[in-house]
Amino acid sequence: MARTTPTFTPVGKYALAILVSLSLLISDINYQTFSSARGFVQATGIYSQLLIDSFTTKITIFNSIYEDKKELIKVNKDLKNELLGLKNKVFLEKKSQVLENDLINLYYGVQALSQDQEAFIFEIASFGLKNYLCCSSHSLYLKNPQKFKVAANLPVADGNTFIGQTSSLDLNLIKVILFSDIAHILPVKIKSFFCNARGAGKPLLITCKVSKSSEFLKIQNNDPVFTSGLGGIFPRNIVIGRVISIDNFALNESEITIALAAKPLESNYFGVLVNL
Amino acid sequence: MKLSHHFIVFITIFFGFWMDELISEFNVREYIFLADTIPYLIETSIGFLVFCYWVYAIPEKLHSSAALMYGFLIDLCFGSAVGFHMLCFASISYIIHIYVFRFRIFSYLQLIIFFGSSSVFYLACKYLIFFPANYSYMLLIFSFFANAAAWLPIYFGMRSFRRTFIK
Repeated sequence: MARTTPTFTPVGKYALAILVSLSLLISDINYQTFSSARGFVQATGIYSQLLIDSFTTKITIFNSIYEDKKELIKVNKDLKNELLGLKNKVFLEKKSQVLENDLINLYYGVQALSQDQEAFIFEIASFGLKNYLCCSSHSLYLKNPQKFKVAANLPVADGNTFIGQTSSLDLNLIKVILFSDIAHILPVKIKSFFCNARGAGKPLLITCKVSKSSEFLKIQNNDPVFTSGLGGIFPRNIVIGRVISIDNFALNESEITIALAAKPLESNYFGVLVNL
Repeated sequence: MKLSHHFIVFITIFFGFWMDELISEFNVREYIFLADTIPYLIETSIGFLVFCYWVYAIPEKLHSSAALMYGFLIDLCFGSAVGFHMLCFASISYIIHIYVFRFRIFSYLQLIIFFGSSSVFYLACKYLIFFPANYSYMLLIFSFFANAAAWLPIYFGMRSFRRTFIK
């Protein structure tokens, strides 16, 4: 590693490199030029992760069978699997019952708008945990084994409330943008007050920046927050959270902070109203 | 430089960014109940520091084109807007190229401060461009110390790696 003479650093090439990267960055941020390529790579990553997981599970099972006391281990594993299967079955039945009830309500709500929609339950494929914890971009991916053509902007439910809406379909994985994403705006209703709640960029929080009015003054902490139905995506009068604070900014401007009811980190299955 | 060497360099940078992802996904709130109200304070830039190390160690082999290519691949693989890592890598590569021989006579402490500051500048740009709502000076200060502490292990680890695989 003899580097006794300084190497020549070509300024022109670096200037060109910076210009190229800057133009790519601006075009991608403003016009989403590479969003499909990015989605493709991300979906490929998720698929490979799922494949590796299933492969390692199979190897673990294979190894355990050929270890000492293999019969006992096998019986033990079978019983465990059976128990897990039963638990999952009960869980899914409960979950699907809850989802079914909610989605049936949603179904009839949406039926008035479209005859070709049906509620489906999808399993989670990947959660963008890093961005969820640190940053303002909150999304998750759902598995889509039946390969439904899921359109963008469909409501996504968790239990008896909503968590967000579909954003895109990358290699048959459904991308869901959560309410807490800073790019997401949800028209909400608190008592008789309407506002557009934007994601706070922090887990489980959305905020409304509003000017004070007589309706606004009626709002108090712990008041339930409902979907207003004004966006045309979510049915109205579904509880999505509650007011946790009202901060006064300026003389005539306030911010209402809303804690969301659904906790996406605690669920593995989500309901989506799918266009068939 | 051989294509296989470029591949090795990229793998180490990729591994660094993957480590950053893993560290970021560690949710301290699950383990410490009292930490529930603490905001997100530390973000490591191991991938960025690994790239800096390579440019610092073999500047005659890594130029603007390599910085652009690594940046493009990292942008695609880790889902950030295409161009961001290209821009960061090209900029830091230029700065390191200019001062590489001055860095040779720097003490470890001076190197720690320079590379710690560079990584904080990278983080600041990232937060200002993509997540302005989450930008905080506390995050930058704590991240500076975390990344400064990470520089020496990265430096010595990568040096022994380089001497083994890239001759």
